[in-house]
Amino acid sequence: MNKRFLISMGGLVSAMALLAPVTVVGQTTAPTTTTAASTLARTPDGKPDLQGVWDFRTITPLERPRELGTKAFFTAEEAAAWEKDENKRQNRDLIDPEVGGLMYPPGGVVPYNEFWYDRGDKVVGTRRTSLIVDPPDGRIPPLTPEGKVQAEARAKAGRETQLGHPKADSWEDRPLQERCIMGLNAGPPMTPGAYNNNVQLVQTPEYVVILTEMVHDARIVPMDGRPFLNIPQWKGESRGRWEGDTLVVETKNFKRETSLPGSSASTHLIERFTRTDANTLLYEFTVNDPATWTRPWTAVVPMARSADPIYEYACHEGNHALGSILAGARADEKAEAAKKGSK
Amino acid sequence: MQDWWRGATSTSAAAALMAALLMSVSPAASQTEVYKASRTADGKPNLNGVWQVLNTANWDLQTHAARPGAVALGAAGATPAGIGVVEGNDIPYRPEAAAKKKQNFDNRLTADPEIKCYLPGVPRATYMPYPFQIVQSPKSILIAYEFAGAARTIYMDKASPSPADSWMGHSVGRWDGDTLVVDVTSMNDETWFDRAGNFHSDALHVTERYTPRTPDALTYEASIEDPKVFSRPWKITMPLYRRLEKNAQVLEFKCVEFAEELMYGHLRKQSSK
Repeated sequence: MNKRFLISMGGLVSAMALLAPVTVVGQTTAPTTTTAASTLARTPDGKPDLQGVWDFRTITPLERPRELGTKAFFTAEEAAAWEKDENKRQNRDLIDPEVGGLMYPPGGVVPYNEFWYDRGDKVVGTRRTSLIVDPPDGRIPPLTPEGKVQAEARAKAGRETQLGHPKADSWEDRPLQERCIMGLNAGPPMTPGAYNNNVQLVQTPEYVVILTEMVHDARIVPMDGRPFLNIPQWKGESRGRWEGDTLVVETKNFKRETSLPGSSASTHLIERFTRTDANTLLYEFTVNDPATWTRPWTAVVPMARSADPIYEYACHEGNHALGSILAGARADEKAEAAKKGSK
Repeated sequence: MQDWWRGATSTSAAAALMAALLMSVSPAASQTEVYKASRTADGKPNLNGVWQVLNTANWDLQTHAARPGAVALGAAGATPAGIGVVEGNDIPYRPEAAAKKKQNFDNRLTADPEIKCYLPGVPRATYMPYPFQIVQSPKSILIAYEFAGAARTIYMDKASPSPADSWMGHSVGRWDGDTLVVDVTSMNDETWFDRAGNFHSDALHVTERYTPRTPDALTYEASIEDPKVFSRPWKITMPLYRRLEKNAQVLEFKCVEFAEELMYGHLRKQSSK
């Protein structure tokens, strides 16, 4: 706990220092990938220089809220009002566990208070109402029959957890992020989350490395056109290429799900990184997982240049939660057995 | 050709001419003692590549005979004999620290943090029996290790202070001729140097030196200072070899799942009684 706490403090310090760059994201205009391409920084081999630390926090949700219907963009006034409401709705300190709120059912637990969060509080610069740009309704496409079965099981397990009775016969019942094997926002694909929304890119002519702060994942992407080994890995196998000034990374051979809850090992992921100006790296990903979703879908996440370093997030080393979840489940069973015995 | 060579080298004037010829035409064949590494675009020695040691330092930094390991693994779990990598073969523990080292050694089959898939720290990450990749850019050099997916950034352009103690420490680098010198500080006291229980405190300061010696080998040196544990600084030295396979690659070794039974097995639900 202590170690995790320290690192989280680092994250919060970073958040404060980063208020200015986040504002810059808020001012970014609609992405035009050809803008001033000639003036952008380049590496000695002539490729766009994407190196540095990038911050992908935003309060814009992955999916367009249903109540927004066909509204794809906010006006400036609407965006300000929505940010205000959403920041309040997300504030864990304002949620009464008895009443519930967000994903927390009434009478459940709100396990992390606001101290732990380092999420974005601004909508993306385009003022789009979702990160998903395709399908045009901004929503994840309909599930396949198999995807539905998985989603229902996941929803049930999630409810039990929020009510304080997580299924925990063993660690294998717990999600990968609780085991520190994968971090949700670490990707692939990367999606803004609760904290550690930072990624560092390092380039050589032969490789690009994508180092995410969450669970210190260094994804090494060969750029030399070598074939896939076709072995399953948690982060999949990535291969990169340049399409004009856009870095394209193709990933497959996942061991299980990707960072997207419910996705399958057969996911084929395409990520595109384009530097649109000095302070913005446009990150776009397309998910094709025919086992889970009835069609591919695409999201766009603008990343803002950060002057801060990536901090070490020693998730597994500081993981007191997993042991406690298991111990708690065993204690519940013991109490249940004692109750039965006394009847 | 052979005879001509012998004849030519028999006169000093011809030898000088020969040397001059070799210098200008084929620098690699010259008698230059110091190897000059190939360069990156910014003119620095190019350390990019996948590297790995070929030694037993991860089992024991000091010279050691073969010995048994985890019984269940038989010969596969045994410690291979090895020649030490410590200069002078002596690790200068303070008396109380020597006792702790002995205790660590006695408990090594359960207490070594490697068993739990914890981040290995520096310098141990370098000589674990897994490859690692150096990814070199002018402002920062990233080292990605296969074991536990450990990674660290060596800052070359600005030395911002370390935000907090960590497992892999805070690395600040500089070039000393063709040698990359890295100061590593701000490490916690949770990692070991090897499976033999050699350890350190949070006062550890490691100075690493990476020097190209051939196109496919680097000399790695790490000076260890830790006044809480050692009575004087000491040093390890070893070659790092380039993985020459055409498709050499650092793969994924996310070992958490291999440590869970060991760490949490006692908390697993027992089958119905």
